[in-house]
Amino acid sequence: MNTESSKSKNVRPVTRMVLFPAAMLVIYGILFAVMPEKASLALKSSGNIFLNMLIPLCLVFVLMILLNIFLKPAQIARFLGKGAGIKGILLPAAAGIISTGPIYVWYPLLQDLREKGAGNSPIAIFLYNRAVKPFLLPVMIAYFGWVYVVILTILTVLGSIAIGYSLNALTKEEERL
Amino acid sequence: MKIAISADGPNLEAKVGHKLGTSQYLAIVDVETGDFEAVPNPGASGQRGAGIQSVLLAVSKGVNTIVTGYCSPAIAGQLKASGIEVLTDVSGTVGEVIEKYKRGKLNAGIRAGVKSKSRWAKVDKGALVHATRSSTKQFINLLPILVGVVLLIGLFNTFVSKDFLSSIFSGNMALDTLWGACFGSIFAGNPINSYVIGGELLKYDVSLFAVTALIITWVTVGLVQLPAEIAALGRRFALLRNGFSFILSIPIAIITVVILNLIGRGVP
Repeated sequence: MNTESSKSKNVRPVTRMVLFPAAMLVIYGILFAVMPEKASLALKSSGNIFLNMLIPLCLVFVLMILLNIFLKPAQIARFLGKGAGIKGILLPAAAGIISTGPIYVWYPLLQDLREKGAGNSPIAIFLYNRAVKPFLLPVMIAYFGWVYVVILTILTVLGSIAIGYSLNALTKEEERL
Repeated sequence: MKIAISADGPNLEAKVGHKLGTSQYLAIVDVETGDFEAVPNPGASGQRGAGIQSVLLAVSKGVNTIVTGYCSPAIAGQLKASGIEVLTDVSGTVGEVIEKYKRGKLNAGIRAGVKSKSRWAKVDKGALVHATRSSTKQFINLLPILVGVVLLIGLFNTFVSKDFLSSIFSGNMALDTLWGACFGSIFAGNPINSYVIGGELLKYDVSLFAVTALIITWVTVGLVQLPAEIAALGRRFALLRNGFSFILSIPIAIITVVILNLIGRGVP
């Protein structure tokens, strides 16, 4: 957290967010001056990508609203802290899938859960399942098709369980040594 | 019955914090047993998401009521949905507040939260407005980097040739997947960017194995945020988790594409 905090103090999040697109605009500006034909080709290509993404992005926004109505970070936190056995796998997996926002917001909670005795397994399962983002599915499906998305999602959830078990087993092994 | 008081210091003499999200400590008291604990507030530095971090902390500590000077309606809504009552406009020292609370004489200006055991927040106009605002903010936060990525891809499409990419992604399944996983591990951020980059790479005949490994590691392995993960969860855990995630991305990518091919479905 210290690293993140000091970063945040040095560079404002808004500045950080616009730095990359601003740099791109500068590059485009230079290109338009030096080789206008190539620059307009590049801009046209970017425009086409945006047009293709327009409908999926609208769906993303609608899904975001629905998830924000029905799910709150605090409820996700409750998911994470509870359950043993199969619940101890499914609840952190569900929490990871429905969690939103940058990961550093979640680190203090994960740290606290660890201090309260939570094992490595639910924390690892939570972090791995952040790769599955329901509200971004329209964009993913637009690019890769729903069959691919379903297969990858199932394998990601299964993979998270494997990571959780491996980390748990390894940590227990170390404790014994 | 636990109450949490936003406080400027870690003891009973500390003043009640002016704002929940940015107060230095949360003083947590069990009014039945008298147990007292002062927990540093993770959002005290005032960075983005400070209020949410306080909410998460309160929930993880099993707090029933939060006492503070001010709490934004959005955060009060989060707490309400979690069954936590919020008492605002409170001043004085932590010790005074505890005594007043025990005697039922705490004069809070606003009772922002009402205890609710309901898991689902009631969908009313206020909730809808709040959700729309949050989503708009999330969406606007997502856009600048996405715009940058798309502009970069425009340049990529114009200046990078298929031959160049073929020299990196040679068509060797294992090697391509490994390269994809390496690229995904270096970069981080919103997964939507990995979908756009991956989708465009496919047009350059980069294999789906490589693209899938890139998409998986984009979120599950984070070299950029590794220092933060080490600070929060320990060096051993962070290194092992990232290492395992990297290794696992390769078989997951291969199995995904093999299944897709077996059932005869390609990507659009």
